[in-house]
Amino acid sequence: MSALGQTAGELRRAVDEARAGWSRVAWITVAAVALAPLVPFLSLPGVRLDSLADTVYLAVAATGLGLTVGAAGLPSLGAGAFMAIGAFTSALLVARSGWPLGPAVLAGAAAALVAGLISGGIVRLRGAFVAAGTWLLAWLVWLFLLAFPSVSGGSQGLILPPKTLFGLNATPTVHFEVALVLLIVTALAIAAVRRGAPGLELVALRQAPRLATSLGVPLGRRRLGAFAASAFVAGLAGALSVQLAAVADPTAYDPFLSFKLLVAVLLGGAAATLGPAAGVAALGLIGLVSDPLARALQLPLERFDTAVAAILLVFVLALGGGGIVPWLRRFFPLQRRTAQAGLVGARRGREQASAGPVLQAIELRKTFGGVVALDGLSLQVARGETVALVGPNGSGKTTALRLISGAEPPDAGRVLFDGRALTGERTPDRVRLGVARTLQATAYFPELTALESVLVGRSVRRHFGGAIRTALSTPNARREAHDSEARAREALDLVGLAGVSYVPTPELTTSQRRLVALAAALAGEPEVLLVDELAAGAGSEELEHIAEVVGRIRGRGIAVLLVEHNLRLVRLAADRVLVLAAGRSVAEGSVAEVADSDVVRRAYLGTQRL
Amino acid sequence: MTIALQVFVTGLAAGGVYGLFAAGHTLIYRLTGMVNFAFGDLVGLGVFATLLVLAGTAPVTQSGAHEPRFLGALVVGLVFCVSAGILTYFGLVQPYLARGSTIGWVAGTAAVAFAIRAAIGAAFQRSSYVFPDPLPFHRVGHAGFIRIGGAQVQARAFFVIGLALALALGSAWLLEKSRFGRALRAVADDAEGARVVGVPVDLLVALAFGLVGAFAMIAAIAAAPGQAVNANTGTLLGLKGLVAALAVRFGPPLLAFGAGLLLGVVESAIANVHLGSWQFGPSYREVLPLAFVLLLIAIWPSREALEEQE
Repeated sequence: MSALGQTAGELRRAVDEARAGWSRVAWITVAAVALAPLVPFLSLPGVRLDSLADTVYLAVAATGLGLTVGAAGLPSLGAGAFMAIGAFTSALLVARSGWPLGPAVLAGAAAALVAGLISGGIVRLRGAFVAAGTWLLAWLVWLFLLAFPSVSGGSQGLILPPKTLFGLNATPTVHFEVALVLLIVTALAIAAVRRGAPGLELVALRQAPRLATSLGVPLGRRRLGAFAASAFVAGLAGALSVQLAAVADPTAYDPFLSFKLLVAVLLGGAAATLGPAAGVAALGLIGLVSDPLARALQLPLERFDTAVAAILLVFVLALGGGGIVPWLRRFFPLQRRTAQAGLVGARRGREQASAGPVLQAIELRKTFGGVVALDGLSLQVARGETVALVGPNGSGKTTALRLISGAEPPDAGRVLFDGRALTGERTPDRVRLGVARTLQATAYFPELTALESVLVGRSVRRHFGGAIRTALSTPNARREAHDSEARAREALDLVGLAGVSYVPTPELTTSQRRLVALAAALAGEPEVLLVDELAAGAGSEELEHIAEVVGRIRGRGIAVLLVEHNLRLVRLAADRVLVLAAGRSVAEGSVAEVADSDVVRRAYLGTQRL
Repeated sequence: MTIALQVFVTGLAAGGVYGLFAAGHTLIYRLTGMVNFAFGDLVGLGVFATLLVLAGTAPVTQSGAHEPRFLGALVVGLVFCVSAGILTYFGLVQPYLARGSTIGWVAGTAAVAFAIRAAIGAAFQRSSYVFPDPLPFHRVGHAGFIRIGGAQVQARAFFVIGLALALALGSAWLLEKSRFGRALRAVADDAEGARVVGVPVDLLVALAFGLVGAFAMIAAIAAAPGQAVNANTGTLLGLKGLVAALAVRFGPPLLAFGAGLLLGVVESAIANVHLGSWQFGPSYREVLPLAFVLLLIAIWPSREALEEQE
């Protein structure tokens, strides 16, 4: 009796906790998901189950596309091409080679994945090229299907024999349930990825690609991951929906399908995981109204559908709306749960610090066209030492940082990190090794808070937080997420900004944004920190704070190379100063020594006397 | 040899039209950094507006046009094409460029493309139409075909090649020498700078949007009577132009025109040339160049095309 009462009490508590943690939207979503599988058994009037199942498959593909368009910000006009590839691969395998349905569907999705990976090189390009490339892909696949009736079955299409799915006859009801499960799984996986570190990095790359890559986030790889995942999901949806239709008809894969998917994503809201599915539902409802209207006006049906979708999109865009789901959210204020303070994990065991300089540059040379930017610059920085690089504009300071950080290769000379030559390593590799850099420009991530911005810098220290593990929420991935957050807070604390962790970056001052960028670089646990113009535009109080921050960083044993115009900061923070003029070092020494030197005065002021 | 000449001339005629579309795409890209996905359909709109004035939506015969009526129809078509282009720019491109929203103009121009295709398809419901011919090419040679050393070449092909070349060189001259062209080049170099010194950037770009459509439309109409046209005609021409423009990575407009010419010849060669017993055949005509250029930009992009990275 008491055991029963205890159980009931536990259950009640669990429900209470869930109620406290979940927003109203989450409850409505759960209720909808719980009721949806019952739809086929309700025999709703005027609703055909096969077209309903087909709509859900379309929603699956659109949800997948949401990752590419929403999170990664890639304007893809080619999602339908991946559906077509999945559809015709599986259709050919079933119709011609007699494969069972399951393997054929997986093969279709795999084919779409391969196509996504091959064409995925375009994700490294600017938006205009991504759009143009995916547009080409959509037309390529369609023209191919039209030109090769041997593959596509020509004007009749490929007729598919009835098959079984999971041991059941593949009736529309079975397809509907399968599509629903697929939709839920896809949405959950994408939501987890978007909330986790990979999603954060995609957002960072979308908003400020230069800043994100300087923090070591690999642009090509992250975006390709999102693009290929969307392709895989679209291929899966295409492969299943073609079996539902029982015929693979090339005309159904007109490039308009790709456009329709994009419309669904934008209509429903690219920013929300469930937005694309809501967009597909909205398009379906509009179809229910527009079809009878088109019949009444005696217009060819599919064309009318097209025009309606196009006009609708234009309206959504013109109103500047974020789509249906973000609009609905205004009525259900989401309480965003603030993440709890993380558990501080064990510090990464650093290898025994070797004696001698941790960073060495030897005879670096770089010319741009005919202009010599660096003319044999050598320097070294030891652990816990702060070296300032000063000199007039155009003397090669920033170029030196770019060469050391791997943003550009030198024409001649070497960079040694801990005695090891860095040659082929690009920026992300060097950040991972421990050479981080902050940018001169005050780029920031306008949609992220200070803490989230700093978390972007943790990307080089992720081992278990890949997209798949994040989606599955493995114990390691969860532990790592906690650990990352603790480190990010530590870094924010180090630059004195712990108080603004949850403030969106646009609300910070310029000087605070620079410090956030510095904290992001620190979050990657660098051993060498290259800092470009930290004090630009800072007031005198801010300057003292910055000097203090640099002192604290040095106290951690990090080697700091400071490019700075503000000589007051140099005086406050630097152990040693290196004066650059016309690409070469003209003086070196303590702050006092250098300030008195004639060479320096000449370098800054020319030969004229004041 | 004879077949080679035939393939070459036919290819050049098709390529001349592609070339004008390519030059238009590259000019717009250089002015704004955007790709107008509705370019082909805007031209298609002009072509079908011309056809509507000439013959309605009924089927027509080749020689159904008389010159004054044809000129009137052409003007109506050009007005449609240019004004729709300008409207598209002000309504669906400029606001998003100003906001820095790539997805906005991508989706906006694609929407215009599909809406025009739908409208043309709804008005012209047959699967293809014959475009009336104002010029009596059928009286030249043998029913419009000229014999050159055993090769049969459409007389129209020479006219289309000449006209396309004239239009391309004319627009290049316009860009190089006229005040309008100089202002456009200033915008392409530095739009903000041009705006600061008082160049009416938006107006100029909108005009360019309309005018590249007009140039491409004239070439498309010159070539139109040579084959059947339908709602996809304009779309596909725009697509081919984009392929050629991407192949030269949106280089100078005349280079893009050259790429268009080359694309025409390559397509014609893929369809007709066989080496021994081996040949691609007409099915490969459209897909091979498309696939090639897609892989080209995916695997070997130009530096300028890359997203800015550290």
